[in-house]
Amino acid sequence: MKRQHFVTSALSVAFLGGNGARALAQVAAGSPLLPGFASGVDPDNVLVVVQMGGGNDGLNTVVPWSDDAYHRVRPAIGIAENAVLKLNDRIGFNPALKGLNELYKQGRVALVQGVGYPNPNRSHFEATQIWETASPDRPQQYGWLGRYLDRRFSAAKPASTFEAVSLGDSLPAALVASHVEVPAIGALNAFAYNTGRDLASKQSAGVLYDGAKAGQSPYLAMIAQTARDAYHGGDVLRKQTAEFTNKATYAPNGFAQQLALAAKLIGSTAGSKIVFVSLGSFDTHAGQRAQQDRLLGYLGDGLLAFYADLAAHGLDKKVLTMTFSEFGRRVAQNASNGTDHGTAMPLFIAGGGVKGGIYGEHPSLTDLDRGGDLKFSTDFRAVYATVIEKWLGRNPAEVLTGAYPTLAFV
Amino acid sequence: MLPPKIDTSTDPQVGFRPPGTLDAPGALLPYAGRFGRRQAAHLLRRAGFGGSEADVARLASLGMQGAVDALLHPAAPDADLPSYPDVTSLYDPKKARQTAQLWWLDRMLRTNRPLDEKMTLFWHGHFATSIQKVAPPQMVAQVNLFRQFGLGRFPALLSAVTRDPAMLIWLDNRANAKAHPNENYAREVMELFALGLGAYTEDDVKEAARAFTGWTIDKNQQAVFVPARHDDGIKTVLGKSGRLDADDVVAIVVSQPVHQRFLAHKLLEFFVYSDPEPELIEALAQVYALGGFDVAKAVGTILRSDVFFSPRAYRAIPKSPIELALGTLRYIGAQTVPPNLPYQLARMGQEPLNPPSVKGWDGGPTWINTSTLLARFNFVNALVAQTAPAKNGQAAIPAPNVAPDEIVRRVGMDPDKIAQTIVGGVVQDDVTSDVRSTLVAYLNSQTPSAMAQNPLPFGPENYQDKIRGALALTLNLPVNQLD
Repeated sequence: MKRQHFVTSALSVAFLGGNGARALAQVAAGSPLLPGFASGVDPDNVLVVVQMGGGNDGLNTVVPWSDDAYHRVRPAIGIAENAVLKLNDRIGFNPALKGLNELYKQGRVALVQGVGYPNPNRSHFEATQIWETASPDRPQQYGWLGRYLDRRFSAAKPASTFEAVSLGDSLPAALVASHVEVPAIGALNAFAYNTGRDLASKQSAGVLYDGAKAGQSPYLAMIAQTARDAYHGGDVLRKQTAEFTNKATYAPNGFAQQLALAAKLIGSTAGSKIVFVSLGSFDTHAGQRAQQDRLLGYLGDGLLAFYADLAAHGLDKKVLTMTFSEFGRRVAQNASNGTDHGTAMPLFIAGGGVKGGIYGEHPSLTDLDRGGDLKFSTDFRAVYATVIEKWLGRNPAEVLTGAYPTLAFV
Repeated sequence: MLPPKIDTSTDPQVGFRPPGTLDAPGALLPYAGRFGRRQAAHLLRRAGFGGSEADVARLASLGMQGAVDALLHPAAPDADLPSYPDVTSLYDPKKARQTAQLWWLDRMLRTNRPLDEKMTLFWHGHFATSIQKVAPPQMVAQVNLFRQFGLGRFPALLSAVTRDPAMLIWLDNRANAKAHPNENYAREVMELFALGLGAYTEDDVKEAARAFTGWTIDKNQQAVFVPARHDDGIKTVLGKSGRLDADDVVAIVVSQPVHQRFLAHKLLEFFVYSDPEPELIEALAQVYALGGFDVAKAVGTILRSDVFFSPRAYRAIPKSPIELALGTLRYIGAQTVPPNLPYQLARMGQEPLNPPSVKGWDGGPTWINTSTLLARFNFVNALVAQTAPAKNGQAAIPAPNVAPDEIVRRVGMDPDKIAQTIVGGVVQDDVTSDVRSTLVAYLNSQTPSAMAQNPLPFGPENYQDKIRGALALTLNLPVNQLD
């Protein structure tokens, strides 16, 4: 009986929305039996995850400009002291991060230094799997955000098809869930049943899917429902996102355009709460400066525009953005004026609800691990645990194996 | 101390076992019912990648036993298909990854031994190795290994996989040596390849890893056994002790009754239906064990069985993206694989040679979501229905892969008969009457914004586009997403 009662209240939380949901969620959180929202956490909070694919070089992102060892090991690709956007008397941003620096000065960026995990993996594929499944020891079937979604929506499906979305052609491992569906939306136009000029064919497909009948196979009803969602979803999405007008100017690069779409998904009735965006090509084995600086420029300027847009819609305090990359890079430059695969790196947490500042210690360039790489000081799962508990309001133990201390950036 | 486990107790359990009851005693006895077009098409979808209407008719004419024999023991030699180094003349050799993928997809399309290729795909999902870590030539060699050993005795397959350069790289056994053991491969042999979770201890993994030491790759990427790296001490694996080596571990693992059920379960999920009953698993496990771990015997028993041709197994499994794409290409008689097919398959959720992890693709319900279904639908629309738009003063180019004239030659310019022919050919009439009437309405539609400049009734001016459109609509029916 008791269990039935709690399941019912979990369902009403999911259906009510708004203040009612918040009040109920707080009641529910008081019960040790029902994993729900922690008190004081807004259930409408949004998480944007930015993947910096390829392994971002941390030392040229957050530069230890006063450390002679830095300039010694990076004679060609090191960033000159007078160019660094200084945060204090030891570290500063790559000048390409001027947009991010603006946000930082507004107190809306937390820099988490020296993030990694024990026995780091240097393969792009495996390290990405480790970060996205939050599982360094064993491959996991579901991603860390997928597991979060599965627990959060264990009793009722999300109200919106676009509760969680990946802005790209395929689903990242982080968002692979067992029973919450996460659409991958490469572009608004591509997320559509496309028959070219043959509109009669498109109309007929709608008739066929709307009228599809269940049959002997238990899969048939599920496929027919998904076909209806897919067929109508593109139109719904375009209609919903059309309600929202971007109030900032985004650069024409793909990453900034993803953020512009993310703002629409978050601010419109599509109501996305988890959005995954990606910025690739950080694998700078050769000619690093030009390439990494260009990408960091996209990152910082994109986020500056994104938060200007969100602020203009009164949403900047509801949206937390965190970056990650599968690994940092080696301490010293290589013979091609690039850097090879390394270990620990800094992460950025941005948003109006973030306690800006510097968290953790910059890794030492002289006290290195056995492989001659930077030592990590903050486990990446502590960052995830912080986001899960303090921003998404759930018990990290529902999502992460093992216990991790939370940080103070939220 | 073990870290605390993630609590999944509140997650909903979704079952996809077909409704109805299993006739357990008769399930694996030979099927004695009618073997017509629907049964032959079912067999060809499961034991191959589907086929054209002529392929289905040819198989149906052989009778059930003859058809299964033709698939299991094909008389014809392997079709003369290009091997991997030669195929680089067909596809861009600079794109080594896509070239390797297209090489394999081309085999799936044109092979005259479809079951061999289907089993190759089965083992690729089972021993899931990725081109993300392994170079294309080694991936291709592994696919060839799966084709060579895929219908033989499982111990021989597992033994070959243990010495496979791609696997030695993928699960790090190349680094497994007496001085510094690496348990990666030993663990997956137990958990994913042969036994399943809970059937072994951590000590079994450690001891098996010692037995696998010594197998590594040389500088030419060839497998090599280096005695100095091998730990020849006494080990105990699953209760058996001795100076065990790699093949001893293979033999011990395979002799476990839990292995026999493990593999039987996996074969039934792949060929028959999701979540098979324990009695059915046990019955197949016995067939497999009594047959000396011969995969062909187990697969043959399945393909001839009453349960395989039962209504509960009919259209009971979602097609994987590769099955959907290859089934479409084979149905329309395509002779080449579209060069962007690997990319299209990635969008559908199954890029060949690039499984998401060593666990392979989850399959079943996870194939189907809004994004992957749209990718399937739009693949079919682009392949079958759409004409390339006119541009730069050039006329529109019709989709080249379908021959509407062939359908018209058979049944004339009659929309009712055309719709009937299409649903008969594509989905063996597995539709309700309102689907047929929707297709007829589409053929007759005069939507002003349709392709024709001036909307016209179905006729000589538009029949080609209309028949292509009706084919695409039928291929995109929910029922055609099921095997």
